[in-house]
Amino acid sequence: MPDDPQSTPYSDPLRLGALLLATAGRDAHAFRVLYDATSAKLFGYALRILRKRELAEEALQEGFVAIWHHAAGYNGHLAAPMTWMATVVRNKALDILRRGGAAIDGDAVPYDGDFMDAMQEVSDHPGGSASPADPADQLQLSSDARALARCMARLEGLHRQAVGLAFFHDLSHSEVARQLALPVGTVKTWIRRSLDKLKTCLARGGPE
Amino acid sequence: MNIRDNQALRERLAAEYVLGTLKGGARRRFEGWLQRDAALRRVVDEWQGRLVPMAEFSAPATPPPSVWAGIEQRLRLAPAPEDDAAGVPGWAAWLARLSDSLAFWRGLSLASGAVAAILAVTVALRLPTVPVAVVDQVATLLDDQSQAALVVTADTAKRALAVRVLSDTPVADDKTLQLWAITKAGKPRSLGILPDNRRAALALTSDAIGEDVALLAVSLEPKGGSPDPNGPTGPVLYKGTWVKVM
Repeated sequence: MPDDPQSTPYSDPLRLGALLLATAGRDAHAFRVLYDATSAKLFGYALRILRKRELAEEALQEGFVAIWHHAAGYNGHLAAPMTWMATVVRNKALDILRRGGAAIDGDAVPYDGDFMDAMQEVSDHPGGSASPADPADQLQLSSDARALARCMARLEGLHRQAVGLAFFHDLSHSEVARQLALPVGTVKTWIRRSLDKLKTCLARGGPE
Repeated sequence: MNIRDNQALRERLAAEYVLGTLKGGARRRFEGWLQRDAALRRVVDEWQGRLVPMAEFSAPATPPPSVWAGIEQRLRLAPAPEDDAAGVPGWAAWLARLSDSLAFWRGLSLASGAVAAILAVTVALRLPTVPVAVVDQVATLLDDQSQAALVVTADTAKRALAVRVLSDTPVADDKTLQLWAITKAGKPRSLGILPDNRRAALALTSDAIGEDVALLAVSLEPKGGSPDPNGPTGPVLYKGTWVKVM
């Protein structure tokens, strides 16, 4: 184990699990280390959902208060630590987003698929995954996120975009359809098929 | 509408609930089902495990210090807690409290080695503020479903062995749980019984943690313990191994 507990990236689930365990035991020091290890990633995520810094800060703060209160309910059998924490922050961010209603401009959602496009490039050129330019390495993805990225990279670009728009911006089928200028029935079908494909691909442990 | 028997529909609704495309009345209806349907909650958990890692695709951004300051203030977190008034090092106290958190421990149905590794990491994290090592060995005993059922901790300094049952499995009034150390040669040594079948504080001897101990086991015995001093007479319910944490 490293001498400096803060030198390990947030993507080490065993270490995050230990910190959550200690947080459940009301260890304020461990909670701080957990915050230092994960807050940048979770803040980046909240920012992507809410797009306004002050709202993302609120979501992050609400999220960590809830993590402190509910750490004892974390079940290591059901979810990786980062997934559990991201779910807590996601729920807080979506509460804020829904409360805000029109405050967030839903008419012009920027396309933020750069990461996925980079992933697709890597998966289309096998052998490149070991290079230092691997986007999954740059983002220090956990193994769960890596597997998902590899499976999503196998979806067709527009299908992946539909899934990403819905997930990151809490859009309905018809809102996604408006963003992509496509009929809502088409979007519904794409999303449904994409979810099926992701489930199958993840169950296999990744694209073949 | 009854969705209990429609597995494909349950999967689809759970996936769209997690993704966020399930909206309005359909979402509220689904949340109503969730409250009454544990199996459906599990399907949702699985979809969260699949889709929420997408969160990590976001580029990290450092939050301003005011966010932590706000958390610290709202939770009234004392800066770096020292030993508490009873003289019990903080982490030993949390370990004790944690053992009470049944759902949490049961959820950690990892191999006992992994559980101990988690403990070891946490213990090491706390070292700067803990002057004396207390618990130095931990064993998580698993049931036949590999669920953590019982935690045994050894404090060699105080020569104390603490046992806590985590599982809710009831023990009949005329039965007693008994803890054994099984040697590498396969010989069982009784370490003591759990009088109330929930927990026990036992004396720690080399019988329990000696180099020759291969395994800890808990058996179900007649009231008062096994009538055979050489070994269990009832079924072995839980098994596990010691892992040094210090």
